[in-house]
Amino acid sequence: MESVISCRNLTHYYGKRLIYENLSFEVPKGRILGLLGKNGTGKTTTINILSGYLKPRSGECLIFGENVQNMHPALRKDIGLLIEGHVQYTFMNIAQVEKFYSQFYPKWNRDVYYELMRKLKVAPGQRISRMSCGQRSQVTLGLILAQNPELLILDDFSLGLDPGYRRLFIEYLYDYAKAENKTVFLTSHIIQDMERLIDDCMMLDYGGKILTQQPVEKLLNEFKRFTFKVPERYELQDFGKEFYNPSLLRNNVETFGFFDKNDAEQKLKQLQVPFSDLKCESLNLEDAFIGLTGKY
Amino acid sequence: MLKPIIYKEWIKTRWYLILALLVSIGFTAYGLLKIERVIDLMGAVHLWQIMLERDAIFIDSQSYIPLLIGIGLAIVQFVPEMMQSRLKLTLHLPCNQFAIIGTMLAYGLMVMLILAVANFAIMLVYMTNVFAVELTRHVLLTAITWYVAGFTAYLLTSWVCLEPTWKRRIFNIILSVCGLSVFFQSTVPEAYNGFIVVLVIYTILLVFLPMLSVHRFKTGHQD
Repeated sequence: MESVISCRNLTHYYGKRLIYENLSFEVPKGRILGLLGKNGTGKTTTINILSGYLKPRSGECLIFGENVQNMHPALRKDIGLLIEGHVQYTFMNIAQVEKFYSQFYPKWNRDVYYELMRKLKVAPGQRISRMSCGQRSQVTLGLILAQNPELLILDDFSLGLDPGYRRLFIEYLYDYAKAENKTVFLTSHIIQDMERLIDDCMMLDYGGKILTQQPVEKLLNEFKRFTFKVPERYELQDFGKEFYNPSLLRNNVETFGFFDKNDAEQKLKQLQVPFSDLKCESLNLEDAFIGLTGKY
Repeated sequence: MLKPIIYKEWIKTRWYLILALLVSIGFTAYGLLKIERVIDLMGAVHLWQIMLERDAIFIDSQSYIPLLIGIGLAIVQFVPEMMQSRLKLTLHLPCNQFAIIGTMLAYGLMVMLILAVANFAIMLVYMTNVFAVELTRHVLLTAITWYVAGFTAYLLTSWVCLEPTWKRRIFNIILSVCGLSVFFQSTVPEAYNGFIVVLVIYTILLVFLPMLSVHRFKTGHQD
């Protein structure tokens, strides 16, 4: 499948602090990919590199086959960018900001923008600085959709939004991306929202280790939570790489893995774990995220 | 393609421009009123005499006005761009990024030029009626330095505002204060006559400094 984004061997440090080393990934055309990771794993750094506002120490990012650091300006017509916090030109009102952007983009669709504004019930003369974060998010989304780009890069789109606005944002974005076969690369702190929206997820761990990059459906079918009981005063042992983030609370063990209950039972027997009452549960995306990255 | 950039700058600065125009013309008018008052009370001969003997030019109350207007204009234009890293939106527009910043700076310089021309026109029209050509030239040549200082202040403040890190921003402020003090070393009228071309070239070269700040922003320098 054709890749819209292709990052190769990205290495970046802030001072002496390593963010990631040799991080490589691709985003196929027409897919909605969510980048998940704990705070400080480099999600915003990745967005900054992708949008050309940060030069990595080494490695390169290609969008539509061009290096983002020296991309032809015209190519930015096909990249919609949402900056963390739904940043917009707050000194403009909603009519002025539409007039401003429309002159840069040949495929501009003002109807999409004004349809969203009608839902907000705001007057064209309403200044963006006097809007709530939720309203501002709709202005930003409306502008990106009116731009009609092939690729949307959204940094923490749910930041500061109440559940209603989050849902509105997701529904509009999903409908647009699927109807128009657009590619979306996004991050969010609220993983429940991602589950409704994304096709693929990529989970980053500290140091740039990619814990998983695969379709969400496949991940949730294969990655399970296992709980079992162990005798009193049992000391938690290393279960090996196949069991993710085992934890012990009283005499209950919780761990995760890419296998079913029978496989888990066999593996625990091989490890000579004194377990009983083994349970296997399917997960939602947030649980899978915790399972892969750990609680701490 | 750069026309909408001008539109954006206009929306940001329009109220400030009205204020700057009123203030600068107000100070010019105040200087001219002082001249008018001396003529009314003491006569034109006395006025010419004190201008020649005591180096009085009557418009020195506006000496720092272009400087302050230049600083204010750069703040009004570029601080909103740096808040919440809004400059990312501007640089993401599908145009050459340095052409975008160049247009923003050209807009500011054009505003400064219009203000300067308006004030010089008012002074010229009034003074040609009350002064000899030599005295009019004497006053206007003195004022030119202040207006060049206004352009310099605008460019240096833009450099400071667009700089992405505070450490470097403070360093830039110190350098800017030193750079601007060059214009105010002497209060003697026409003291800079032999030097004004050098000051203009110096100001033109400063256009590259805000570009340097933008380059630093683009490569990800941050606190």
